[in-house]
Amino acid sequence: MSETVREKIDARGAFCPGPLMELIAKLKLVNIGDEIEIWSSDKGSVNDIPEWVKKVKHEMVGITQEDGYWSIVVRKAK
Amino acid sequence: MASNTLYILLCSGEHEKVQMAAMMASVAAVSERPVEVFVSMNAIEVFAKGVSAAERYHGGAFSKLLKDKKAPDPMTLFQQGKELGDLKLWACSMALDVKGWELDHLEDEMFDGPMGLTKFLSDAEEGQFITL
Repeated sequence: MSETVREKIDARGAFCPGPLMELIAKLKLVNIGDEIEIWSSDKGSVNDIPEWVKKVKHEMVGITQEDGYWSIVVRKAK
Repeated sequence: MASNTLYILLCSGEHEKVQMAAMMASVAAVSERPVEVFVSMNAIEVFAKGVSAAERYHGGAFSKLLKDKKAPDPMTLFQQGKELGDLKLWACSMALDVKGWELDHLEDEMFDGPMGLTKFLSDAEEGQFITL
């Protein structure tokens, strides 16, 4: 069984819609089934990224609040 | 054109309004929604080629905050929307005529061409229309 690939993006300090744009640009480059973990200090990302993921039919893996930022993990589904 | 297309008429050269237009256009485009932006009046000058961000953007108190906090540059957001989604920008042919400009006065690879208001309004009849 192959291991899940997880790419990381540190978008802390970027304002809306910077983290979302960085996520989307990276999603274009990875394979279906790969995950992207994005770190964002932008509060809007906590709602905006899951909303975008739902709309375009990728998959949310999870959101974790860390010290001063959120870790948001998305799986490329198509 | 699909009825869910977002049409943005950008007339203001005010930094805050250009920022909002770029945010809406780029986010809608990457959310699989077609977007068409018609740029006219003072807004056309914002897209002049080879201008620094300090010279390009002028506005009120919030403009200073956007610059101080290094909010995403509207030119970058428009480019990202074009690269990652279905976003088209049109330069108002009347504004170009009044300025005495050709498309090559504007940022490279930003505009899809000149367009008249009549054509833009006709295309926009079935979409959502926002003016800034």
